[in-house]
Amino acid sequence: MNLTLIFRFVKRELRTSEARILVLALALAVASVGAVGMFADRVKGAFANQANVLLGADALISGDRELPASLPEEAARYGLKTTQSIRFGSMVAARSNGANAGEAALSDVKAISAPYPLRGSIEIRGEPTSAEPRGKRMPIAADQSTPKPGEVFVDERLASRLNVKVGDTIDLGKLSPRIAQVFVEEPEVAGNFLSAAPKVLINANDLAASELLGPGSRASYRLQVAGARAEEFAQVIKPKLAPGQRLETVRELRPEVKNTLERSEQFLGLAASFAVFLAVVAIVLALRRYLKREIDTATIFRTLGAGRTQTLIHFIGQFALLSLIACVLGVIGAYLAQAGLAYVVRGLFASELPPAGVAPLWRAFLTGVVLLLGFALPPLVALASTPPVRALRRDMQMPGGGGVIATVLGIAAVLGVVLMQAQDLKTGFIFVGGIVALVGAASLGAAAMLWGVRRVTKARTKSAWQMGLANLDRRRLSTSIQVACLGLGVMTLITVGFVRTDLFSAWQKSLPVDAPNRFLINIQKEQVEPLTSLLKERGQDATFYPMVRGRLVAVNDKSVSGKDYVDERAKRLVDREWNMSSADAPPKGNVILSGNYFGADAKDEVSLEDGIATTLGVKLGDKLTYDIAGDKVTVTITSLRKVDWDSFRVNFFALVPKTNVDALPKSYITAFHLPTNDLKTLPAIVNAAPNVLAIDVSEVMERVRSIVEQVASALEFVFLFTLAAGLLTLYTAVVSTQDERRYDTAIVRTLGGTRTQVRNALVAEFSLLGVAAGALGVLGAVILTWALATRILKIEFVASPLVWVIGLVAATVLTLVAGWLGTRSVLSTPPIRVLREG
Amino acid sequence: MNADFGGASAAPSLSTSNAHVAIAADKLNRTVPLGDRQLTILDDVSLTVNDGETLAIVGASGSGKTTLLGLLAGLDRPNTGSVSWHGEVINTLSEDALAKKRQGTVGFVFQSFQLLPALNALENVMLPLELANNDDAESRAKEWLTRMGLGERIDHLPRQLSGGEQQRVAIARAFAASPSIVFADEPTGNLDTDTGNEIIDLMFQLNRDQKTTLILVTHDLELAARCNRHIRLARGKVIA
Ligand SMILES: Nc1ncnc2c1ncn2[C@@H]1O[C@H](COP(=O)(O)OP(=O)(O)O)[C@@H](O)[C@H]1O
Ligand SMILES: [Mg+2]
Repeated sequence: MNLTLIFRFVKRELRTSEARILVLALALAVASVGAVGMFADRVKGAFANQANVLLGADALISGDRELPASLPEEAARYGLKTTQSIRFGSMVAARSNGANAGEAALSDVKAISAPYPLRGSIEIRGEPTSAEPRGKRMPIAADQSTPKPGEVFVDERLASRLNVKVGDTIDLGKLSPRIAQVFVEEPEVAGNFLSAAPKVLINANDLAASELLGPGSRASYRLQVAGARAEEFAQVIKPKLAPGQRLETVRELRPEVKNTLERSEQFLGLAASFAVFLAVVAIVLALRRYLKREIDTATIFRTLGAGRTQTLIHFIGQFALLSLIACVLGVIGAYLAQAGLAYVVRGLFASELPPAGVAPLWRAFLTGVVLLLGFALPPLVALASTPPVRALRRDMQMPGGGGVIATVLGIAAVLGVVLMQAQDLKTGFIFVGGIVALVGAASLGAAAMLWGVRRVTKARTKSAWQMGLANLDRRRLSTSIQVACLGLGVMTLITVGFVRTDLFSAWQKSLPVDAPNRFLINIQKEQVEPLTSLLKERGQDATFYPMVRGRLVAVNDKSVSGKDYVDERAKRLVDREWNMSSADAPPKGNVILSGNYFGADAKDEVSLEDGIATTLGVKLGDKLTYDIAGDKVTVTITSLRKVDWDSFRVNFFALVPKTNVDALPKSYITAFHLPTNDLKTLPAIVNAAPNVLAIDVSEVMERVRSIVEQVASALEFVFLFTLAAGLLTLYTAVVSTQDERRYDTAIVRTLGGTRTQVRNALVAEFSLLGVAAGALGVLGAVILTWALATRILKIEFVASPLVWVIGLVAATVLTLVAGWLGTRSVLSTPPIRVLREG
Repeated sequence: MNADFGGASAAPSLSTSNAHVAIAADKLNRTVPLGDRQLTILDDVSLTVNDGETLAIVGASGSGKTTLLGLLAGLDRPNTGSVSWHGEVINTLSEDALAKKRQGTVGFVFQSFQLLPALNALENVMLPLELANNDDAESRAKEWLTRMGLGERIDHLPRQLSGGEQQRVAIARAFAASPSIVFADEPTGNLDTDTGNEIIDLMFQLNRDQKTTLILVTHDLELAARCNRHIRLARGKVIA
């Protein structure tokens, strides 16, 4: 291989607009894929950090006995910060200070040591103000966030129950610590909130003296870790955990958070896929133009004595070098662009964006190389076998082949890259299916249009429109390609716009401001009616669900226990008690996926949440036996439901007919929305039903909502960026097909066509191209957005005719302007110059 | 004159009896498919050209001149018949072997110049030398361009040069690799008469200096008359 010659040729070719546009298109593609990918990773990282606040750490390992020292040591090897705590239930009593002496409550005690917490902070209240009657929530200073020995921090719920305040002392085992802080919330709120008791934080050094943990007491020993490599550590440690030890992450604990995170990731992945899409358009067009020029080079090579092999090696080398340059430029561009993007959105995030990893840059680099090679290799092989005799006959047909292979390879490359970006098979297939369908439709559409054109242009005297039409007809193949590529671009841009606004607002709507933020549990049957009317008076139409607790003991009459399952979640499901309920109809937000929801007087049936059925490996018709307060109840699965976890409604994995729960011991549960400034409702409820426990999920909801809002703003920027890249790509697309048109135009002018005639014909030509591409693009966009909304993101598809009209008009105008800018010069250049340049 | 330019390459000949024969063509036939039958565009053409000779191929447009030139130059293959250079049959060589053979044996001048538009004059002339891994490609190309009177224009791109200048670059490219045979297909076809004459003078001059064999396709009888010999084609057959 003659490396010097390859280098020289690349240097020489970079003088030509063909090579430059190709490099530019590829660099742009790599830059947008890389920038979006890298930025998305950073944003995802920021979201994950925020979500991890709910856990107080990035990961948590809990065990039912003391954890071995090897665990924190291993974590330290991953450069993680660690803290250990012990959590257990205990009675806490107010000390003899008057009326409340001896009042006691079960609480959730946590013995901690600094540093605590690893993520987030303990929140306390400031002085009450008129705007914040309960006092503004604020984080406790980091150096005061662990109680000193002899001190405790208590939850404000406990403080109000025991009627104690800062400075008072409480009884905790053998100790009587002083209350140093009354807090609103401490970070670790994840977990089963239905069993949440008010929290007490004590210093770990006081634990022994308190004698609270005797032999045989139940406690959870916890190791919290945080740091950049926490995920990696979690993956490594998970299989090594001993029985009784568990790894917990936010995603596993809170379905709402898990869903929110996954959806944000999907959105960002989509943005990256769009970037790939545009990249494909740009590359195909630029490549086509570039290869056309290279036929001449290949011919001369062959004539001057370069063999087929030498020619092929040279071209591949030259191509590899060109794409290397483009990809390197693109990666640099990607880095700068995402840094700029991060700078623009710097104020939006509660925490600083975590630094970006280099993985997205590698992915972008690979994207560029794979795309280019996928499309370019087959035609390069064909190019190398250019017959030398072509030097004598320039009009000779190029050797065929390569076309089909290039298409197949190209589609495979696109599929691979989109899958890599979307990280999801279904999205990838929808995208690639979209491309294939659109190209097919474009060819058909263009053929139909040209067929019509031929009828029209039969007329003798030709108007500018007919001339323009005739131009398109003469370049049938390139017209089809242009319509397809422009259509693809238009489709992408419209889809981006749609996703940014419509899909997104649909998502936000699923978490309305008045979503329930308080759960009431432990409601007795006779309290349902008074509470219903109490809430109704306050405009809350709450549904009360009966709740029975049962343990799954057999599947299809075969008894099961946690040991029968490999899956962590399945183990847990079998080991713990389920909260089951009954409802005459599927609760709001539930969708029946298969089977039929049982009727009002059905018996021994169950409607199971789809995910849990998958985890347990059960299907319609299977029999589940539960142990409910000592009674064995066997029910048959007659329907599977999808539950809308985002909604914060009361949701149940298992719903059984009324007849099954009527006879059983049960309590009731409901959820309602409590406005922040409402100070009366909760006391009223406590008054009416003192045993009822109110659980505050507003904190979790706030977190989720803030994640959603930040995703919205971040996506806004990401999509704007994709849009800008898209417009540039479209411009490249139109410009890169100008050569033939310039040549034709010059000939028409030589033959005596006036400038006005030529101009009008060009305007006609571009308008037609634009309308055709716009129509196809809009059609494609409607189908694509529909598929994305209903199949991937699972949100309602809203038709928006205005957007379609705007898309069509914009496509036409855009094509006209870009086309005009690219060809205009031909009108002011002497035709001979254009002709000589060939 | 530089010694580098002297002497055509002395390809070893296989047969001593025709050591002075540069090109021999024997019963060349070339057909192209036309619908479901074959159209004959060259019919039993045979000829010999001796070393250092100049041969003109003349005939009306469409008579098969370019087709014949392509076969003689090893750019195309005959359906039947054979072509040999300096006694070695070339049309049975493999594609790559034939390409290698062209390197350093033959040079070309085309009607449409066939310069690469992205390469400047110097780089165009350097190309055959570079492909042959010649170390002093640049200095040789420079000397040739100077000799063609284009010393000042070496970094100009083809589109910045006039037709005559472009053809002179092409001639420099054809001779730079010291070929023993030069093929020219209507080298003046795209030029005005005066420029055309200049180009032709230059080619005959170089041909004498370099002792190359020259095969020239033209429909200009005056030009043909300046060659040692000429053959006339009509409908693919040699008629004189
Ligand atoms: N590849 C080809 N396919 C079809 N017809 C060809 C091909 N090559 C040459 N011809 C035809 O053969 C005839 C001779 O062509 P050519 O050698 O170019 O003639 P000349 O150079 O004398 O004008 C012409 O009629 C031309 O159209
Ligand atoms: Mg000819």
